[in-house]
Amino acid sequence: MSEPVSGKQRGVTRTRVQRGVISILWALAGVVLVVLMWEAVKFLGSFIELPINTSDTSMPHVWTMVDAFSNPVVRGSDTTVLQAVVSATLTSLKIALGGFTIGVTFGIVLAVIMQRFAFFERGLLPFVIASQTVPLIALAPLIVGLGNRISFGPIEWTTTYSVMFIAAYLAFFPLSVGALRGLQAPSATSLELMRSYAARPNQMLWKLRFPSSVPYLVPALKVSAAAAVVGTVVAEISTGVKGGVGRLLIEYARETTSQPAKVYVAVFGAIALGLAAAALVSALDLYLTRNLPKESQA
Amino acid sequence: MSSVQTSHQAVDVQGLWKIFNEGSNNEVTALSDINLSVKPGEFISLIGPSGCGKSTLLRVIGDLTGATRGEVFIAGETAPVAREKQLYGIAFQQAALFDWRTVRRNVELPLELQGLGKKERRERALELLELVQLSDFAEHRPWELSGGMQQRVAIARSLAVDPPLLLMDEPFGALDEMTRERMQNELLRICQETRKTIIFVTHSIPEAVYLSDRVIVMSPRPGRITHTVPIELGERNEDTRETDTFYAGVTAVREALRGRSASASPPRIEEL
Repeated sequence: MSEPVSGKQRGVTRTRVQRGVISILWALAGVVLVVLMWEAVKFLGSFIELPINTSDTSMPHVWTMVDAFSNPVVRGSDTTVLQAVVSATLTSLKIALGGFTIGVTFGIVLAVIMQRFAFFERGLLPFVIASQTVPLIALAPLIVGLGNRISFGPIEWTTTYSVMFIAAYLAFFPLSVGALRGLQAPSATSLELMRSYAARPNQMLWKLRFPSSVPYLVPALKVSAAAAVVGTVVAEISTGVKGGVGRLLIEYARETTSQPAKVYVAVFGAIALGLAAAALVSALDLYLTRNLPKESQA
Repeated sequence: MSSVQTSHQAVDVQGLWKIFNEGSNNEVTALSDINLSVKPGEFISLIGPSGCGKSTLLRVIGDLTGATRGEVFIAGETAPVAREKQLYGIAFQQAALFDWRTVRRNVELPLELQGLGKKERRERALELLELVQLSDFAEHRPWELSGGMQQRVAIARSLAVDPPLLLMDEPFGALDEMTRERMQNELLRICQETRKTIIFVTHSIPEAVYLSDRVIVMSPRPGRITHTVPIELGERNEDTRETDTFYAGVTAVREALRGRSASASPPRIEEL
């Protein structure tokens, strides 16, 4: 019989670890490039008139920003800006994670319902799509307003829950659409095969549809995670909830005249938030696609 | 082949009609008045041009699509009951192996759906992989195997629940000629070892003649059975493909496909 088509061609393709290290190096090179460009623009701005303001108030030096990490939050305070930003970022991360989890769960449940009953797909999908055309800024006060009237026994609805709800609201959409496509992905042959085995609907779902949806689910999770982070930060700003990195951005932005570098520390916090979300999804990706052909990985 | 004594035919199709979009403008009669009986242990091929309904007939027998009129029995049971009871195994042109499962766990799939215990289904799968000579690849992923090997896994999987009947829809259609001939020999060997009844859909005349006890020739618009060509090649071996009986069978099927009966050729054709 013919030889197997080898999936492992060692020496040509690198191992996962090697590829990981290389991608980290590239990422670091990217950071260095951004720093260099930033400083280059500032340097250029001191000689010629540029369309953007390159003064130290608008574009502080990178080292001023790094310096600002260790500045006290307010004069005489024991907490540094870095500590404040880290704690705010963690708060936002918790909210974003909560929103992401709720959104993903809801998105998958919705996709399963839409896949199972064509009637629901026709009826629900337009609403799912329409739900995303409402601007977040318009939605935020509405949800806070509605949320204030909700109480589940001892648990009181706080504005933080509203922020989480908004993050979930943004996260569920890419997921439900991606998951629906994934659940509909199995080939006619696979479906006939399962039918020939007299597979029950739940077996069909767990043994065929969910595993087949993984290649669609992974990119959807990436978009959803990003949406949850953006949703959290923007919702924090528009609802004015305290403690998160969104609020910090607004607060520090007001202090640009006295401490121009401070707001950038908060920006770094927001970036770290995004990176944490991306890392989480990459870990999920590695786990979900561990059994699939390596070519199919994005 | 074995002479299993049963009161039922392995497959019995009576006055079967399959009409798509019945009553609408784009009504298509895929199968018209099909009558077919297959004895236990018999190997029959369905052959005919595209659109003659041979795949549809296979699917109706397997209850993958319903009949418009007429009846289908597998070992005395109606098609839906036969499917529920797993009285047949099926293999398609695409191996349709699940990428996320190892080769062994692909073979285990039908048993898993039946709720068989982990240990038993593992043993059964390894036994079947030995039968198709892929024991060394049990823990490989399907995408690491060649097309021919994937198809052998699919055959092992179709045998998993040990059904009396195998339905095969052009299982070797996507393979190259050399692999294809090897697979045909392998299939005949497996048939002998497991004593299955087989309904085999194919486009290839030599393949149909080489494998079958009987070749059913079909014709399109509307899909129907036009000829039945019995093949008497006896024990198949390396030389069978070069014997006069083989060529005569190929000629007889070819003539039947053209709508003529080859009166001079040794195998008789039963005009319907």
